[in-house]
Amino acid sequence: MSVLTSTAAERRPARIDFSRPILYGFAAILIVLIVLPLSWLLLYSVTDRAGSLTVENFIRLFSESAFLDPLITTFIIATSSSFLCCAVAAPMGWLVARTDLPMSHVIRALVTASFVTPPFLGAIAWELLAAPNSGLLNKIYRVVTGAPQDEHLFNIYSLTGIIFVISCYTFPYVFVLVANALDRTPGELEDASSILGGKRWYTARRITIPLVLPALIAGALIAFLQAMTLFGSPAILALPAGFHTMTTKIWSLFQYPPKPELAAAASLPLLVLTIILLRAEHMILGRRGYSVVGGKYGTPRLIPLGRGRWPAFALCILVLLNPVFLPYAALLNAAFAPVASHFLTFSTFTLHNIEFVLFELSATKLALRNTVILGTATATIGLLIALVIAYVTARKAVTGHRLLGFLATAPVAIPGIVLGVGLFLSYTRPPFVLYGTLWILLIAFLTISLPSAYQQLQAAFRNIHPELEDASRILGATRLQSLRQITAPLLRTSVIATWCFIFVGVMRELSAAIILFTSETKVISVLIYDLNESGDLGAISVIGIAMLLITFAVVIMVNRIPGFGVTSVRLRT
Amino acid sequence: MASVELQNLTKRYGPLAVVDDVSLRIEHGSLVCLLGPSGCGKTTTLRLIAGFVEPTEGNIRVGDRLVSSPALTLPPEQRKMSMIFQSYALWPHMTVTENVIYGLKLRKLDRDTIRKKLDAILTTTKLKELAERYPGELSGGQQQRVALARALIVEPETLLLDEPLSNLDANLREEMRFEVRRLHDAYRYTTVYVTHDQSEAMTTADLICVMNAGKIEQAGTPEDIYDRPRSEFVARFIGSSNVIKGKNLDDAHISFAGARLRVTGAKLAAGGETAVSIRQHDIRLSKTAPQQKDNVVPATVVRQVFLGGSRDYMVEVADGTQLRAVTGAGEAIAQGSAVFLHLPAEHCRALTG
Repeated sequence: MSVLTSTAAERRPARIDFSRPILYGFAAILIVLIVLPLSWLLLYSVTDRAGSLTVENFIRLFSESAFLDPLITTFIIATSSSFLCCAVAAPMGWLVARTDLPMSHVIRALVTASFVTPPFLGAIAWELLAAPNSGLLNKIYRVVTGAPQDEHLFNIYSLTGIIFVISCYTFPYVFVLVANALDRTPGELEDASSILGGKRWYTARRITIPLVLPALIAGALIAFLQAMTLFGSPAILALPAGFHTMTTKIWSLFQYPPKPELAAAASLPLLVLTIILLRAEHMILGRRGYSVVGGKYGTPRLIPLGRGRWPAFALCILVLLNPVFLPYAALLNAAFAPVASHFLTFSTFTLHNIEFVLFELSATKLALRNTVILGTATATIGLLIALVIAYVTARKAVTGHRLLGFLATAPVAIPGIVLGVGLFLSYTRPPFVLYGTLWILLIAFLTISLPSAYQQLQAAFRNIHPELEDASRILGATRLQSLRQITAPLLRTSVIATWCFIFVGVMRELSAAIILFTSETKVISVLIYDLNESGDLGAISVIGIAMLLITFAVVIMVNRIPGFGVTSVRLRT
Repeated sequence: MASVELQNLTKRYGPLAVVDDVSLRIEHGSLVCLLGPSGCGKTTTLRLIAGFVEPTEGNIRVGDRLVSSPALTLPPEQRKMSMIFQSYALWPHMTVTENVIYGLKLRKLDRDTIRKKLDAILTTTKLKELAERYPGELSGGQQQRVALARALIVEPETLLLDEPLSNLDANLREEMRFEVRRLHDAYRYTTVYVTHDQSEAMTTADLICVMNAGKIEQAGTPEDIYDRPRSEFVARFIGSSNVIKGKNLDDAHISFAGARLRVTGAKLAAGGETAVSIRQHDIRLSKTAPQQKDNVVPATVVRQVFLGGSRDYMVEVADGTQLRAVTGAGEAIAQGSAVFLHLPAEHCRALTG
């Protein structure tokens, strides 16, 4: 017997030898990407300069007003923008999904546009619009009312200004969640209530709202999370106003003289809160009682708005003025006007800014080169990693595939700036001195883009029924042949889309890059931030518009792929 | 009395008439089936009756109340109807009890009455043990019964059912068919039942309306529809019929594959062709020529299958038409043999519709 079993084992060694290394190899990659920086972060936060254990960092964090104030500010900003987002996005989501609102697809497209606008670019555009002296809206106000030069209507450099701008680019998260929940809630559930005698408002109160509430709460949590972990907008708007949020405080701890142990300690609350909020979101959305049951459902009956149709549409457009029309107009104005804060006229139209960006600004070439290199490398490597892990988890090809899936989605819970701090701490010391090279940025971008790439590809694999591969194999194709001839062609569009999404994501990433860049490894987003510091708003507008055009091209292309809409994808900043 | 009357009911979406000039009177307490293939307009008709859809032309009366017309449509919540949806439309955030008593609460009944009625309906639908479960935790059959309980507990004047059994497996479907009929007999409301399954219609309905392309092709009792189909569509849809075509000889005879067939049904026009339906089990097969000459057609056996209780033959006549015949299991005629088909005149129905 023993002889027989050993020959049987010898006959098929390839299978065992093949899958184990894959598992270990990829687990190792993911651990380097995730576990290493977080471990250093943890270690630093509980040690002092000399390297001995201490809780001094946390005591300072929660007692000194230099840290406590940003903590409170961040909490105020996150809470208020979360409320504001819900207040605006929930009614809009309902209007678009459940009523006969005219041109609702236009509204959806415009929300998508604000979704993909990098928040830091939006913040800069709002500087152009509502800075107290030079802001275009304030200038109009002064012209219209004849108010003196030192008076202003809006001041974007304020707590309310920050809350407003952050909400502009965060409300799409709530909108998408609510609108999707309504899209998925069958109209028959409401019909069933009305045939039993429920009037419209009663039905809304007892059926529709309770069904959508989990999505709304989840949206509120995500909005809170976004507002809390954002770096660009507060850095652009809060620093001139003279106060800090947690993210800008962490960043300032890396300015001379650097205090990495305090930065590490300050990062931990962000990390812990993010994990808690994401768990809460998962629980709320995953509650069993709320999954819709039964078979075929018809399309919902749209609620007629009657005379309110066009006013409702106007209201939506009015809301969308803030994240889309006004900022885009300000950027266009700044790009072609000689002075960013002056109104463009026919006589002042100039291409000077474009010339300046393309030929004079020496930093552009370097930043552009770095961004293209990093974007291409991240997209390609990230795609390959995500592809293998998605295949392994979707087909359950290897034991332990769950662990891989978990590790691949884990970076969702690491805010960009926290990851930046962790990577800084990990790779400024031997044996891996990567700080100052593009490698450290590559690692950061890979980690950040992995979760959404993995989720997209996993969904794509799930759409391809395993029996399609089985059918090929029963006809005599090997596993690899089946992959090449059946799965690969079916997956092609998803793969291209994922690649583009990673590339665009890299282009927009600021909060990790701001910690990790050096003068030789600047990328476009950091360049924009620098130009903002030096006041070159015209140049920013040119670069920003180019960024937006590339992003829109990718989004439009991806939206053409069935079942792959941008709504299912989370862009990170 | 809550009879339901549809008068010249039409619903157009653009140029397409989904429901096309339908007139029908449903007496109080009767169960009417709208039967037809998907896309025939039966569900739209039901949703018109419910008030979810407004008619383009025509009107709907319940009793002597006008509830739907192009000018004015009473909203569904004011129609005193109940409906069981194809998807059941159970509210996932409410327990079985909460789902069921929803309509009673809307009617502002007191707690004791609600409890009594709930008790009664849960017993009838065998849901007692599941009262505190959520719909997501129930099987398909249980969900269907909750939908039934929720619709019946309000004691509607009119009950509408939209393919209520189509999501169930075969055994359960058969059981629930009788359940639907039993509950209808117990409560005696006016019921409109939409289905594409003819045996479901046969077992439940007092009156079957076969619908096709937005029109009612034929309305009648199950026996009527089965034994006396008026059109080729009805004959084919109800199933197990052969439809053959022949030249008219006079007002009651056609020529088919060289033989002379006497047919029943409407009188035939002189000249022209007529389609004739004959059920598979009404055809008689014999190896030797029967005595009478009329209605006998020579044929060849193309295949035969033993089905246990019966035999299923496929035969071909001289002009190449193939017919199916179901006979007793006893007589086995080998493939390729010559046979004589006897098509009894009383079962050959001329289809004039």
